[in-house]
Amino acid sequence: MRRLMNLAPRPGIRLLLGLLPFVLIAFIYVAASAERRAVNPDDKLLPPVSEMVAAANRLAFEPDRRSGEYVLWSDTAASLRRLALGLGIATAIGLTVGLGIGVLPLVGATLAPLVGVLSMVPPMAILPILFIVFGLGELSKVVLILIGVTPFLIRDLALTISALPPEQLVKAQTLGASTWQVAIRVVLPQIMPRLIEAVRLSIGPAFLFLIAAEAIASDVGLGYRIFLVRRYLAMDIILPYVAWITLLAFLMDWALATLARRAFGFAYVTERR
Amino acid sequence: MTKILKLLTVAIAAAALLTAAPLSPAFAAKKKEFNIAWTIYVGWMPWPYAAEQGIIKKWADKYGITINVTQINDYVESINQYTAGKFDGVTLTNMDALTIPAAGGVDTTVLVVGSFSNGNDGIVLKKGKTLADIKGQSVNLVELSVSHYLLARGLESVKLTEKDIKVVNTSDADIVGAFKSKDSTAVVTWNPQLMEVKAELGATPVFDSSKIPGEIIDTLSVNTETLRDNPDFGKALVGAWYEIMAIMANAEKGKAAREAMAKTSGTDLAGYEAQLKTTRMFYDPADAVKFVSSGDLPKIMDMVRTFSFQHNLLGDNVKSKDAVGIGFPGGKTLGSAKNVKLRFDATYMKMAADKKL
Amino acid sequence: MSSTIAFRDVWVEYGDQIVLERLNLTIAAGTFVSLVGPSGAGKSTMLRMLLGQERPSRGEIMLDGVPMGHEPGPDRGVVFQRYSVFPHLTVLGNVLLGFEFAASPVTGRLFGVARRNAIAECHRLIDEVGLSEHRDKYPYALSGGMQQRLAIAQAIAKKPKVLLLDEPFGALDPGTRAQMHELIRFLWRDCGMTVVMVTHDIKEAFALGTRLIALDKKRVDPQAPGRFGAIITYDLDLTRDSAVPVLGFTKPLSKAGSAPHQGAQEGVRP
Repeated sequence: MRRLMNLAPRPGIRLLLGLLPFVLIAFIYVAASAERRAVNPDDKLLPPVSEMVAAANRLAFEPDRRSGEYVLWSDTAASLRRLALGLGIATAIGLTVGLGIGVLPLVGATLAPLVGVLSMVPPMAILPILFIVFGLGELSKVVLILIGVTPFLIRDLALTISALPPEQLVKAQTLGASTWQVAIRVVLPQIMPRLIEAVRLSIGPAFLFLIAAEAIASDVGLGYRIFLVRRYLAMDIILPYVAWITLLAFLMDWALATLARRAFGFAYVTERR
Repeated sequence: MTKILKLLTVAIAAAALLTAAPLSPAFAAKKKEFNIAWTIYVGWMPWPYAAEQGIIKKWADKYGITINVTQINDYVESINQYTAGKFDGVTLTNMDALTIPAAGGVDTTVLVVGSFSNGNDGIVLKKGKTLADIKGQSVNLVELSVSHYLLARGLESVKLTEKDIKVVNTSDADIVGAFKSKDSTAVVTWNPQLMEVKAELGATPVFDSSKIPGEIIDTLSVNTETLRDNPDFGKALVGAWYEIMAIMANAEKGKAAREAMAKTSGTDLAGYEAQLKTTRMFYDPADAVKFVSSGDLPKIMDMVRTFSFQHNLLGDNVKSKDAVGIGFPGGKTLGSAKNVKLRFDATYMKMAADKKL
Repeated sequence: MSSTIAFRDVWVEYGDQIVLERLNLTIAAGTFVSLVGPSGAGKSTMLRMLLGQERPSRGEIMLDGVPMGHEPGPDRGVVFQRYSVFPHLTVLGNVLLGFEFAASPVTGRLFGVARRNAIAECHRLIDEVGLSEHRDKYPYALSGGMQQRLAIAQAIAKKPKVLLLDEPFGALDPGTRAQMHELIRFLWRDCGMTVVMVTHDIKEAFALGTRLIALDKKRVDPQAPGRFGAIITYDLDLTRDSAVPVLGFTKPLSKAGSAPHQGAQEGVRP
C-alpha cells in the first residue's frame, strides 16, 4: 500500500470526487426539506426545489405585481453597478496609493501607518458616520465597499512592491530611468498580476459589504431583496438569490483569473500545475 | 474498488441522515424542557426580568418543568428561529405572528397579550408639519413591519396611498443614524429609536400608534401543539408574567423592577418610563382577557391581514386573505376555518384573572 | 568611451564597525579590474559605492575627475548575479528599455520611427550576445547563461562608461561560464569601457582582468572584530608578460578573444 499522500485520483475519479460534496449537500437538502414538509405542509424554512424554481421563474420572468419590474434583473443591475463602482474605485485608489507607498519612501513613511490602522477599522461599526457624510443613496453603499476593500488592496500592493528584488530597481536606474519611469515600466507591470489576484480575493468581502449596505437602507438590490423577504421567511426566494450571488461572484472571479493569465502570462509560468 | 464504493455509499448515506436530523422540526409531545426567545422592546422586558429574578424558575418548578429564556439580538431572526422549530415560544407582535409563523404553517397561539402600542410607533418628518406633507417624500422604515402597517394606516387617514411616497427599507438598528443624513426626510419607527428621531433638530412627529390604539399588539406566542400537549407550559408562563405585572403596577415595588428592565434594555429609568407611557400595559389579567375577547380584535386582525395580503406577506401563492385562518376566544374565526394557524386564546389569562394558577 | 575612476581616502564605517579603511585607488580608463577577496572584505561595498547605492563615510570617489553622483545613473551599467533582467519583458523589450527611458520621459515608451530605429539597434546588440533566435522570449524561458547574456546586452545598450559586474557568472555551470568569459572579453574590447568585476573565482579574475585587486583585513583585533577595515592587499598588473604568482594557470592571450560571437550553445528551458 502506498502512502495516502501519494494516492492521486485519476481524472474521471477526480471529477466524481469533486461533484460528491455537491451531490451530498443536495441530497441532505432534499431529504430534510421532504421531512419538514411531511410534518408541516406550509413549511418555509426548507422549500422543495420545485418551489424555488417557481419563485426564481417568477422573479426573473414575470413583472412584479406592484412595481411592474422584473425583480431579479433590476436587483442584479443595481447591485452589480454598486459593486463595479466600489471595486473599480477601490482598485484605482489601491493601485495609486500602493504604488506611492511601495516606490516612494517618503510617501510610505507618511501613509503606511495610516493605511495599517484604517485596514483594522471594522467599516460596519462606523456606518452612522457614513450615512451622515455620504447620505443614504448610492454613494454610501459604494463608500462602504471602498472602505472595506481599499486598505487591503493598498497594503497588499505595497507588500508586493517591497518584495521586488532591489537589483531590478537599481538596474532600471542604471538604464537611465526616472522615478516615474521605474514606477510605470518596471513596478506597475510586475504588480498587475498581484493586483488582479487581490481584487479577486476582494470580491467576497465586497459582496459582503454590498449586501450589508443594501440590507440597512435601500429600495432595490440583491441584498435588499434578501433582507426584505427574510421578514416573512421566504426561503424560496432567498435560496435562489444566494445561488445567483454565488454564481455572479464565481463568474467574476473566473473572468479576472482568465484576464490575468491572458495579459500577464509571465507571472504564471512557475506556478504548480 | 466496488467494495470501497459500497462502503463510501453507506458512509455518505449515514452522514446525510445524521446531518439532516437536526434540520427536522421538533415534534410536539409531552416534554419537560421548553425554550422561549425574547428581544429587547419595552413591552417584553418583563420576561428577562422574570428570568433573572427566578420567577420563571419558581413557576416552572411548580409545574415540574424547565423553561429556558434566551435573548436573541435580532427580532426577525428570533421569529424565524421560532418558526423553524428552535423555540417553543417567542415575543412578537400580532402582525408578525400572522405573517411569519402562521403563514409559514406553524400553528401559533397568542398566550399572553401583554400590551399594545399607544404611541410607541410613529411617523416623523423633517420637511412638513402634518402627515399630508409626506406626499412625494421617500420614507425610511423597516419594510413589511408594523412600521409599514402604521404608515399604511396613516396614509389612509389623509387619503394618500403608498404610490404617493417612496419606501426605502432601512434597518431598525440604523434608522437613527439614517435620519441624521440629509437624504432622509421622513421615517417610521418604534421605540426607543422613535424618541431619538423625535429629538432630532427640526423633526416633527405627525402620526403615531395612539391614533390606531390596539392595532399593534405585543404578545408572547407559543406553538399551539406544544401548548395543547403541555398545558403546564402555558400555565407556568402566564403565572410568572402576572406575578411580574403585579410588581410593576405597584409604584414603590415596581421602581426597582423598572430600573432593572431599563438597564437590560440599554436605557435609564427615565427613558424606560417614557416608553412605558406610550405603551398600554395590561397589568391586570382581566383587562387582557377583556381585550382579547372583545369584538374589536377580529376587526383589527382583519385590517392587519388585509395589509399583509396586499403586501404578499402571506406568501406569493396565496390567492386570498382568507387563506390563513385566525381564531378568537369563543370559537369565532376569521378566514379559512379549516386552516386556523393563529389563535388568540384567553384561557390561561383567564386562569390568572381567576387566581386559579 | 571609458572613464577613469579614482577613490580618494575612502572609508566605509557602519557605526563603530569599519569595513574599508582609507582606500586610495586610481583605475585608468579602459581597465578591466578583477576585484577579489574573502567574504566580508568589502568587495560588494566597493561595488555598491561605484553604483551609487552607498556613500563612503569619508573621502570621495571621482569619475573622470568629477565627484560621482550618489545614486545609480546611466553612466554606469551593471550586471548582477541574479535579478538583472525584467521578467515582464521579452528579450527585445529588456534591451529596448534603456532606449525608451532616454527618449520618452512621460510614457517611457517609443512609438513609430523612433521605435523602429531603436529596435534595429537592439537587434544588433541581441545578435552580438547571441540571442537572436530568442528575441521574443520572456526571461523565464531562457537558461541562466542566456539570462546573463541578456543582462549584459541590456547593460551595455546605452554605452555606459563604466560596467560593473557583481559575480555575474557565479551561478553558471563551467561550460557556460567559459562562453560568457569570451563574450564579456569581446564586448569589453569592442566598447572599450572601464570594467569592475567582483568575483569569488580566482581563475576568472586572472582570466579576464587586466588588473587584479585583492581586498582583505590585514589587522584583526580579536577583542573588537570591527576595529580594523579591509585594505588593498594585492594590486597586480596582469597586462605585462611577467610571471603570474598563481600556479596552474595560463595567462590570457592579449590578442585573443576577438573572434565574433556565435549564438549561444546552451539549451532552452522548456
